[in-house]
This record gives sequence, structure tokens and C-alpha cells, in this order.
Amino acid sequence: MVLILGTIIVLAPFYMMVSYSLKSPGEIARGEGGFFGRQEMMIDPRCVALRQPGRSDIEAGSARFPGQDDGGVQAALLAETEADCSMRPVVFNYSKAFTEAPLIRYLLNGVIVTMSIFLIQIVVALPAAYALAKLKFWGRDAVFGLVLFCLLIPVHAIALPLYIGLAKLGLTNTYAALVVPWTISVFGIFLMRQFFMTVPDDLIDAARMDGMSELAIVWRVMLPTAIPALLAFAIFSVVAHWNDYFWPRIVVTGNRDLFTPPLGLREFKGDGDGSFFGPMMATATVIVTPLIVAFLLAQRRFIEGITLSGMK
Amino acid sequence: MAAVDPSVANIAKPNSGQARAGWGLVAPALTLMALILLVPIIVAGVLSFTNYSLGNPGFDWVGVQNYERLFTRSTYEKMFVATFTYVITVVPISVGLGLGAALLVHSLGRIGDIYKTIYFLPVMATLLAMAIAWEFMLHPTIGMVNRALEVACGTWFEALPFFTNGCAEGFPLWLGDRDYAIWVICFIGIWQGFGFNMVLFLAGLTSVHRELYHAAEMDGARSGWERFRLVTWPALGPTTVFVVTISCIRAFQVFDTIEAFWPQGGGPNKSAYVMMFAIFEKGIQQNLIGIGSAITMLFLLFVMFLTVIQRWLVERKVHY
Repeated sequence: MVLILGTIIVLAPFYMMVSYSLKSPGEIARGEGGFFGRQEMMIDPRCVALRQPGRSDIEAGSARFPGQDDGGVQAALLAETEADCSMRPVVFNYSKAFTEAPLIRYLLNGVIVTMSIFLIQIVVALPAAYALAKLKFWGRDAVFGLVLFCLLIPVHAIALPLYIGLAKLGLTNTYAALVVPWTISVFGIFLMRQFFMTVPDDLIDAARMDGMSELAIVWRVMLPTAIPALLAFAIFSVVAHWNDYFWPRIVVTGNRDLFTPPLGLREFKGDGDGSFFGPMMATATVIVTPLIVAFLLAQRRFIEGITLSGMK
Repeated sequence: MAAVDPSVANIAKPNSGQARAGWGLVAPALTLMALILLVPIIVAGVLSFTNYSLGNPGFDWVGVQNYERLFTRSTYEKMFVATFTYVITVVPISVGLGLGAALLVHSLGRIGDIYKTIYFLPVMATLLAMAIAWEFMLHPTIGMVNRALEVACGTWFEALPFFTNGCAEGFPLWLGDRDYAIWVICFIGIWQGFGFNMVLFLAGLTSVHRELYHAAEMDGARSGWERFRLVTWPALGPTTVFVVTISCIRAFQVFDTIEAFWPQGGGPNKSAYVMMFAIFEKGIQQNLIGIGSAITMLFLLFVMFLTVIQRWLVERKVHY
């Protein structure tokens, strides 16, 4: 019983978000129509306003409606516009979500940023993790101690000095600004090191016997063995950066070409008047959906990935 | 034959070769760690004693003036109140709910997996999007929450003081009301975070040995509560310490919801003016780097302090 009550509270905002994204403004304001709304044809007021027939249109149209005076032609034209401008609320909301702002671009930015963050994190963290786990060298313990110390530092907390540094370098409002602070994942190093500790030494010695360099060992021997841990880390990293709002909010100001999905949604809210609840919720749905769907498809992996941070 | 030589050299002198390779592999990570994590802390530490602004050619040393302001101005008093209200509310409740949900879900077995999935959804969802969804839910006139509450008017619910007031004068504005604003933020924080804690506790629960329960039963622990107190709770010790710490650190970092609800000012009468928002507003929007850095340093201090406590607890108490 308690669990069911909890379920209702947990799901309520999701339900509302999807439901509103399907309904017309009137239905939202009056709170009717159940989950799907009635999906009656609705008229987009902006579309009509933009295509108000002018004098010239009426003259041009009089040929098509013979035998009517100007008023009649205007009425006929208006009816035509309204027919053109009316659509189902779902179509209205989602098409507005994609046309009112370059949502595709934002989603693409989100993909670019999360992917580059993840790839750089791996390129940096994997060799370091291997060295810390399997190579004996002077100073290794000190480096590992430093890694443990850096685990304590939340990157969001040092956003201000990072921002100053990037501003000094003239890098704000670039992709670099979105990616650079996240290129080093201390957690990734730690995680992969713990994983590499479990890889048998024989495997590495055999590779050395074959004449592989240490760097080659990292990419050709260690990487394939680490796929499960890497997948978990990928989920962890992608979820965190797709959803991140704080950092993009700081370094991207104004340049809409660089907006990540949460920033795009925020912008939508900024200029939203009441009638835009539907499209806004459609945008929100579009942004939330990829991760939710991926999560539902590969639940077990996701939960593992997210809880990995708990296995310290 | 040429391929054999380096490997022979490697085996003959493993230390020098490995040392070079080791440092070579660690170097990029080490450089980035220093540049991105350590240098900024030092920079913030230095700047917190200045009145620096971006774009100014130089700055003056102002001593501890920034810190002094933090502890004397009423704005910052509100900041501390809001931050600690949030942390102190969200952490125990989300940890408690997480534990409760984990125990229930665990006892249900297979069916419990559905609840696990559902409760985990908020963790995956973009918080900003969900914050906006909540904003609509809590909309004073067209929001679902107040509509649902209005339904209760005219029934026996009206006997409760909250409903008597609400039905007579309208239900709260929630986000617009300074008495409710921070609690709404807390509620959303709990809503978003407890599923994460639940999953961590579930991972901890699966590692509790069944035999321990049998043993406890043999010893006369008949009720469920006794078994929980004697077996489950101690076994979850390390998990609990970790969950509490990570919840605290996450709670300190609350920002998205507040920025989404009140882009200017951090809530009605600054009732939800938390530290991250203060850093953002002072340091970045108003370009008062000195004061922003001082808040940053204080923030880091809190987080470090928490983690040190965690380490200490782990080392001291939780060896079984």
C-alpha cells in the first residue's frame, strides 16, 4: 500500500508532463480531457495572426471566389487560413517544440558534449588507472593518494574559479568550455583502477613477452577486459552530463548554437506565456525520454552503473 | 629477434622501465587533475581575500572583509538558513525513505522490481525538466496539486485546520509563498533523491547473509523489528554511512530547481537562497568574484568536513 502511494507521487509529474504535452491550451487551463485530451482540432492563434489577409490578398482572392464582395472574400480567406492553421494538439505541441527553438540542434549539442566528455575521460583515465594498478614505480602511492583526495572535490563547487580561468583564456561560449572541466574524472580513474586490480598479472606479462609497449597493453589488452566496468562508467558519465544544468548555465550565455537540452528548455520557459505550456512540456518530454527509454531497456546495467559509486 | 630485446630488457630491469612508463601514463591525468581541480581551489582561496572583478586590470587585498560580510549581512544569514534547512530536511528523510523502500522492495522479491524501476525514474530524469513539471503541478490555479486538494473540500477533510483555511481562503501559492517555498524545494529534492538511496541500500541488503537471520531467529529475535535491529541495521552500517555522506554532498549542491523556479533572487524573500545559487548570483551574474570565492571556500570546507567525518566513521565503527 505504502509502495503504491509512493508510486503515485513519484509518477505524478511524469504523468502530468506527458499528458500536458498532448493537450490543447484550453484543456490544460480548464483541467479537462483526461490523459490524452480530446484531441479536437485546435487553431494556432499565432499562425492565424501571422497570416491575417491584407488588402492585396483580398484582391488576389476575389478571382477565386467570384460573385462575392470584399467582406465575403475576406471571410472565406480567413476560414481557409484557419483550416490551414488548425491541427491536433499533439501535433501542435510537438511541432512547436521543434520549430519554436532549434531543439534538434540542442539535442545534437547534448550528444556532442556528453560523448566528447566521455571519450576524453576514458583516454585520460584508462592509462592512469592501469599505471596505478599494475605498474610499480616510485611515487605511485603519492599519486593514488592525490586521486583519493581529489575524489572529495565536487566540480560544481569550484565552478567559479574554473569560470574565471576559462574567461581569461577567452573560452566561454565554446564547446571547449562545456567539456574541459569534466575531462578529468577522478572517479573514473579510481573505478578503473579497482577493476584493473582484479585482472591477472599473467595476462600483462604475456603481452609484454609479445613485445607490446605499455601503452599498447592499455588499449589492446586492458580495454577489452574492462568493457563491463567501462559500460557502467559510461552510463554514470552520460547521465550526469546530459542532465547537467549548472555548468552549461554558467559558461554558455546567449549563444544559442551551443545550448544543451536543459538550457534550451530553460529558454523556452523564459519566454513562455500561458498558452505555451503544451509545447514546453513537449520539449521536456523530448529531453527526458532518451535516458528514460534507455534506462527501461537496460535497467540492470543502469542501476549497476549508477550504484557503482557506492562500491568504494 | 628484435622484438624480444625490449621485453628482455623489461624483465631484466623492470623498475626503471616501469617507472618511465608509469609516469608517462599517469602524466596527462595528473596534469589535468592539478589544472582543473587543485589550482582552482588555490585561486579561489586567494581571490576570496580580494575585491577582484573580471575585466578589472588589478585588485586590492581586502583581508577577511569578504568572510566578515558572509557572517554579518542578513542576506548571507538567509543563505545559511536556507542551505542548512534543505540539507537537514532532505538528508534524513531521503535516506529514511530510501531505506524503507529498499526493505519493502526487498521483501517483495520479484514484484518489487517494478517498484525499483519506478522509484529510480526521477534519478534518471533531467532535474530541470522535472522541476518545470513540478512548477505546473503546484501552479496555484491550474495545478494538479491544488485541484486535488480542492476536491477534498466539503468532505470530512475540512475538519483539519489546513483544509479549513485552504477551502476558505484558497490553498497555498506554494512557490510564491515564503513559508512554503523552501519546503517545496526540499520535497522535490527528496522526490528526486530517495530512489538513488533505495538502490544503494538494496545493493547493501543483497549482501546480508540469510544465515544471519536464521541465527537471530534461533536466538529469539522473533519480530521483524528485532531482526532488523539485530541483523539488517548493523550489516547496512557501511552502506548507511556512504548514503548519508553522498546525500549530504548532493543536498549541498542543490541549484537546478531553485534557478528554474526563481531565476532572480532565490525565492520569495530569499527563503530558498542556497549556497550554490549564491555563488552563481554573486560570483558570475554580479561579477563579485571576491565574495563568490569566499562562499566557494566555505562550501568546500563543509563538503570536506563531511567526508572527513565519513572516513572517520568508516574506519572506526563499521568493521564487522
